[in-house]
Amino acid sequence: MCAAIVPHPAARSVARVAACALWGLESAMVTVEADVANGLPSFTVVGMPDAAVSEARERVRAAIRNSGFEFPLRRVVVNLAPAERRKEGTGFDLAIALGVLRATGQLTRDADALCLAELALDGTLRPVRGVMARVRRAMSAGVATAFVALENAAEAAALGAEAVGFASLREVVEHVEGRARQAPAAAPAPAARPRHPVDLADIAGHETPKRALEVAAAGGHSLLLVGPPGTGKTLLARAIASVLPALDPDEAIVASAVHSVAGLIDPERPLLGARPFRAPHHTASHLALVGGGSPPRPGEVSLAHGGALFLDELAEFSPAVLETLREPLEEGAVTISRAGTAATYPARFTLVAAMNPCPCGHAGDPGEHCTCLPDAVDRYHARLSGPLLDRIDLRVHVPRIAYEELREDGREPSRVVRERVVAARERMGARLAGTGRRCNAELTVAEVRRHCRLAHEAETLAGEAVRGRRLSARGFHRVLRVARTVADLAASDDIRTTDLAFALLLRAQA
Amino acid sequence: MRLRELERPPDPLWIEGDAAALGAQAVAIVGTRRMTTYGERVAREIAAACAAAGVVVVSGLAQGIDSAAHRGALDAGGRTVAVLGEGITLFLATVRGRRRQLVPRIRANGALVSEYAPSFCARPWMFVRRNTTIAALALAVVVVEAGQESGALITAERARQLGRPLFAVPGPLGSAASVGTNALIASGSARALLSAQTVLEMLGLAASTALPPRADPILEALSAGALDADALRRRVRISEGELAERLLRLTLAGLVTKTPDGRYCGR
Repeated sequence: MCAAIVPHPAARSVARVAACALWGLESAMVTVEADVANGLPSFTVVGMPDAAVSEARERVRAAIRNSGFEFPLRRVVVNLAPAERRKEGTGFDLAIALGVLRATGQLTRDADALCLAELALDGTLRPVRGVMARVRRAMSAGVATAFVALENAAEAAALGAEAVGFASLREVVEHVEGRARQAPAAAPAPAARPRHPVDLADIAGHETPKRALEVAAAGGHSLLLVGPPGTGKTLLARAIASVLPALDPDEAIVASAVHSVAGLIDPERPLLGARPFRAPHHTASHLALVGGGSPPRPGEVSLAHGGALFLDELAEFSPAVLETLREPLEEGAVTISRAGTAATYPARFTLVAAMNPCPCGHAGDPGEHCTCLPDAVDRYHARLSGPLLDRIDLRVHVPRIAYEELREDGREPSRVVRERVVAARERMGARLAGTGRRCNAELTVAEVRRHCRLAHEAETLAGEAVRGRRLSARGFHRVLRVARTVADLAASDDIRTTDLAFALLLRAQA
Repeated sequence: MRLRELERPPDPLWIEGDAAALGAQAVAIVGTRRMTTYGERVAREIAAACAAAGVVVVSGLAQGIDSAAHRGALDAGGRTVAVLGEGITLFLATVRGRRRQLVPRIRANGALVSEYAPSFCARPWMFVRRNTTIAALALAVVVVEAGQESGALITAERARQLGRPLFAVPGPLGSAASVGTNALIASGSARALLSAQTVLEMLGLAASTALPPRADPILEALSAGALDADALRRRVRISEGELAERLLRLTLAGLVTKTPDGRYCGR
């Protein structure tokens, strides 16, 4: 009846293996403690496991047996310390299995590494989500080695950790025992230079919309394009990817980590090279847009972090879904709270939205006749609430363009516009040095007061505008931020009258 | 009262507001619900000129030209009468949007009128009778924009039968909203209205304010309807910065507004 295992002299009563728990992008090191004691055979996991972690018991039991080891017919207790927060996901399987093997003496050495993989019943290692964020945490906690599934190896190695990928539990044991060492994975190839499907030179006419796009890209301001169908709103919006500056390394890590948590990473090239461009369909639910579920997953706003979020047919989105955008647009982050758990994801993106001018799409189109009644057009626009419009900095009309313009040559390519954007971003970066923020849309109110100096004449105009248009304080500050960007694009220290006029004219709320 | 000239005058007539407005000198300004920005501007300007000369503007408080006429009169500080095609109470309970905001202003500076009991629900034939009432209440009828089968053409026909002078605003050829009005002019049943002065002179009044001269090239370019910034710049031919600045000053002066679709429109 008693277990057949003869305890190895090096067996420990309590084995410890390093793992890492993840809540959103917040992470914490977890010590997986395994204790094998005499008593009725049982296998318990304590330390606030969620359902997926509890189920690890069955996978670990089968994987150990099917890898040629013996599962102890004794009282096995596994504790995930610290025990006070709920642990989610299947990433603890490998650590639990190694802990049990170590505690029973079937593994004679400690695995000094972060162990992060799911186990199949036959002992194969399976990849998990969110490896990058967890390896980063382990590195800062002094654990520089990571044991992961083969598929996760490149992702774990991306940030410079010594990452070893294994195919099976057996391989991990052989490696730790030193019988068959696996070489650490090479750092993955750097992300390819992004190629952009749409270049501004492909788009004819549309001077003002292009200018607004440049301002939005430079300062991170939100943009709404309104125009009849087929006039190039979607093409313009997609062109923003080609004028955004390259991701800097810090931004790339955070953006890649969000994609890693969502399981959307390319295993070969885990670090994002291009700024994300997300374009959810207008039937998206609020869970899809801002994130949610249990455990909370990142939504489109977080996947667009550091890049652009494109909402085509804005007025067709459910109004309740659009309202959920208000918090991320203001805060640059989303906190999703669920019973017993909360996750915070970054969500600092440039919003680019497009919509038709009316339900039939032809209001104001000289070539077509609009068949909508005025009330129907009003109702269509009323689908966008005041508070949402207040957060949209630029609203431009994208008209149908004349044939002469279609044939026109000498259009500015994205490369030239991007150079201006990069130069403007450098001016912004110098101003915001040390704050961790990067562009004018992120200026705090105090910084707006300090950095958005108005030339004398512009000051008078600003006064008239605030009085005449009953601009709210928030609205005025948003105008100043846009005006600051327009001035930055022109390499001007002061905000001139024309910069302010441009910002005021393009403001969404009339 | 002028309504007695009708074969079957509406009886009773339900009135909310100032009943005296019904007896005053009045001009009816009617048109299509599917108006263009050009029609909206003209309706407002004519209504404003009439109001400034002390003439009451009568219309039907429908969407489109009717609402623009009421608003033009109210903005100019004049009086206006809205003849509804359904019961007043029912209309007030169901009206939404911009027209709802007009209701209290009309009540305070004119009257809401209906020949139907307060909770009488609308039927198509009722609007035809309403149009007759509008034509009868006014000394002259102006059709600003009307499509091929616009209800405004019924008002025009009734005005002709009642012997009221009929004016139509000429519109661009090819614009669906001006097919009806252009046809009225072509057939000779209506006089082409070139400015509000034509109507006011017929009433023996001098226009106290002629149509504002459009000296500014931007306002000139916008007078035919709303334009986007690029089209405006092609017309006016000034630099981007200068256009922004001048357009903003016109906006602050209330002479230009931004439409919800991001274009600019003169008023």
